[in-house]
Amino acid sequence: MKEPTVLPTYQAKDFKSELKPIWCPGCGDFGVLQAIYRALAAVGRAPHEIAFVSGIGCSSRIPGYTTAYGFNSVHGRALPIAQGIKLANPDLLVLVAGGDGDGFSIGGGHVPHAIRRNIDLTYIVMDNQIYGLTKGQLSPTSPKGLHTVTSDLGSLEEPVNPLLYTLAYGAGFVAQGTPADMAGLADIIEEAIRYPGFSLVNVQSPCVTFGEDDNQVKAHRAAMKPLSSIGHDPTNRIAAMDLAQQYGKALHTGVFFKNPSPPPTYDALVRERQRSLAEKAVPRERLLDMFVQK
Amino acid sequence: MDDLVIGMAGSGGDGIVSAGESLIAAAAYEGYHAMMTKSFGSQVRGGESSCRVRLSTRRVHNPGSTLDVAVALNWEDFLRFGAELPVSGSTVVIYESRTGVAPDKIPLVGVAPKEVFAVPISDIAKQAAGTEKAKNTVVLGLIAGWFGIAREAILRGLRKKFIKKGEELVASNERAFTMGEQWAREHPLQTPRMMDKAASHAGKKMLIDGNDMCAAAAIFSGCQFFGGYPITPSTEIMQFFTREVWKYGGAVLQAEDEIAGVGAALGASIAGKKAMTATSGPGLSLKTEIMGLASIAELPLVIVDVQRGGPSTGLPTKPEQADLFAAAFSAHGDVLRPVLAPTSVADTFDITVEAFNLAEKYQTPVLILSDQEVAQRKETVDPIDTARFTVIDRKLPTEAELKDYHRFKLTEDHVSPISHPGMKGGNYQGAGIEHNESGNPTASGKMHATMNDKRFKKLKPLQRRRDLHRIEGNPSAPLALVAWGSVAGVAKEAFDRAVAEGLDVKLFVPLLVWPIAEEIYRDFFASVKGGIVAELSHQGQLYRMLRMYVDVPAGVTSFCRSGANPIQPLEVVAKLREASMALQTPPQIPSEE
Ligand SMILES: Cc1ncc(C[n+]2csc(CCOP(=O)(O)OP(=O)(O)O)c2C)c(N)n1
Ligand code: SF4
Repeated sequence: MKEPTVLPTYQAKDFKSELKPIWCPGCGDFGVLQAIYRALAAVGRAPHEIAFVSGIGCSSRIPGYTTAYGFNSVHGRALPIAQGIKLANPDLLVLVAGGDGDGFSIGGGHVPHAIRRNIDLTYIVMDNQIYGLTKGQLSPTSPKGLHTVTSDLGSLEEPVNPLLYTLAYGAGFVAQGTPADMAGLADIIEEAIRYPGFSLVNVQSPCVTFGEDDNQVKAHRAAMKPLSSIGHDPTNRIAAMDLAQQYGKALHTGVFFKNPSPPPTYDALVRERQRSLAEKAVPRERLLDMFVQK
Repeated sequence: MDDLVIGMAGSGGDGIVSAGESLIAAAAYEGYHAMMTKSFGSQVRGGESSCRVRLSTRRVHNPGSTLDVAVALNWEDFLRFGAELPVSGSTVVIYESRTGVAPDKIPLVGVAPKEVFAVPISDIAKQAAGTEKAKNTVVLGLIAGWFGIAREAILRGLRKKFIKKGEELVASNERAFTMGEQWAREHPLQTPRMMDKAASHAGKKMLIDGNDMCAAAAIFSGCQFFGGYPITPSTEIMQFFTREVWKYGGAVLQAEDEIAGVGAALGASIAGKKAMTATSGPGLSLKTEIMGLASIAELPLVIVDVQRGGPSTGLPTKPEQADLFAAAFSAHGDVLRPVLAPTSVADTFDITVEAFNLAEKYQTPVLILSDQEVAQRKETVDPIDTARFTVIDRKLPTEAELKDYHRFKLTEDHVSPISHPGMKGGNYQGAGIEHNESGNPTASGKMHATMNDKRFKKLKPLQRRRDLHRIEGNPSAPLALVAWGSVAGVAKEAFDRAVAEGLDVKLFVPLLVWPIAEEIYRDFFASVKGGIVAELSHQGQLYRMLRMYVDVPAGVTSFCRSGANPIQPLEVVAKLREASMALQTPPQIPSEE
């Protein structure tokens, strides 16, 4: 069935706030912000119906540059806060954003649970393989051997693979993009937002100041391989996991996996439970009656 | 007799706690004032268990001290509870004769109770019900027989409890009960001790513990979200929510850890809903960073810390009052976060409603500092007149204010109307970073000072809330007794006894334990020369906090000890006596040269 055409009532600029970004000139996050403006315009929800939560990091500043209700919380805790918002008001569109350190290091413990709960929200990670805000330390996605200020002699650790990890936890929507292809990234974010359930968009968003030279927008443009161009079937989780293993070696962009028959979301189940139990509610002031020894 | 304290111990399978439950339920039904505490060994199942039930025709404020009746199904288990089940010479001791211990050889050191009964409890059970499992019902019969408590109500309760499993089980338990009763009648006490009848409140009293009370009060206050992680002794709060809150359009999230639990609750508050989390010491440590976020982002949030013995895992099932410093101070930066402490199951309702009201009114996290004793003891509570409570909701921006909205607008009362996602025109940037009036980030020292000032000043009126401090006794008394949390119930009894014996003492129980209401304490201490601050912590944390903020008279000292070593009313009275003696200046005897 064809979706009814929605008139574009919002334009990208309606989501742009008056706050001027303070990212380093050339930071990949500028492109991600533009892509988010476009995706939000395409989705067409009013800014005041959007809650945009982030943690701490350069990338976590992003909600402030939008006209949505933004919440720049504490390092690593954006996902739990966002889930609380969505459960309290499922009518809101909830976006979450942050860096690779925020999401896969300090906040790493929250990711599998957000995924298995499957609350309808979109998580955009600006993965620059480095700690930007704190000036260039090792990140959980930094490649093994990387020299940083906290790994002078080269990192001894294997990186986390965000794509493989989220697919393995059962995420219903996993995609990757780069600001080197802003239009493509906007499409991916839009599709993620429209997906009913938890969706992850891992964005290879270069850090111009502390990142590696071969990990910049220009290099991405040359290296990126859209998944559509290699005939990947995004309904095939196993194929997606195969491709995800290339993380850090090849730059695949597009949707790795999208569950063709999304299960009901947690927030929908909550609503259903609330509806079915509403008639059982005694007036609040009579709640204690159940303890009377009759 | 108008007051009776019964302590019982056995091993896990003996059903001793379940006997206690039946007894207190029956007592509540009959209209007695009653209280029950349970205590277990560290095994999850099996192991030793005990309970203590206090029944009275008057209101009681604590679970009582020395036992009037001690029931031991075996001595090893009984003795493991030590100070929790103290026996005196006047305690009636009832024990299982199968233990093979002769009545004059019971293994209690330093006491020789006058009335000791070796009862063939298991044999009676077997004879009456065909199974030793009915031992606990036999015990109920013995107690009803000797002390005349709630016979009909116990039988009624047994029927209710066993009818699901068939008439036969009801009948066999009735036989076990009657035979226990019969045994007691055939072996009368030397000094009969029949309990007075309760004033007739039959079928009106509630029987409830502090955690259920807290959760019910939260839902009464309009709380629609609970996020948390299980931890003894707070988990029953989450469990109540999972049964009830959906009916009120709310939700529960059992999070992956305490940080996520409080984070989700904060999220719900951002979205405009009243929200709470509950935990115990280890979880409180984890929640600290997000509590700070709630302070700077000026978001209403209620956090419950049911204190247990600490630090770290400490004594997970025992009460202590050693989280006061953490509750007040654990935060980086300049933070003022109100802390309220319930003193009983009954006032847990008031405290919880107050916590939500303060959180909403002042847009701040508020901590409820309960403790294992208040949270897990069962108490009879008279029906609560909910009409006397006003439920406060956060101040939302008006249509006009939404036209030019500034989330952190500086106002006369330092509280700014708060919007939430979904409200057109109310869009703002909430953050942990310092912000200006519109919510935009700033690194200005001037703005930081202004906002700190705002966040502190809005809470000023709180420190003048006399209704959050319970003061009793002669206003110009020279002796003071200060206590908070569960120890306040012990202090209340001690205070009544001290006054009865002629000590000129007054009692101070803060329900708001932080910030310290300096003026209220100052007024209270004006006439005071000596006294004690009684609390269950090694350091005497309230005493030390008072010394930070108030001129505590030099004669007021700390009476404190580590958790799980209950403070008894008689000890408090003795301390007051001592303090009184210290105030007496010896008469000047003229010396003859
Ligand atoms: C609890 C806590 N620990 C550490 C920090 C310091 N800190 C802030 S951002 C950050 C990491 C930033 O890296 P990332 O999340 O990848 O984001 P980026 O700046 O690269 O966008 C760290 C360590 C903090 N704010 N809070
Ligand atoms: S430090 Fe790196 S991530 Fe941060 S703003 Fe600069 S370029 Fe972007």
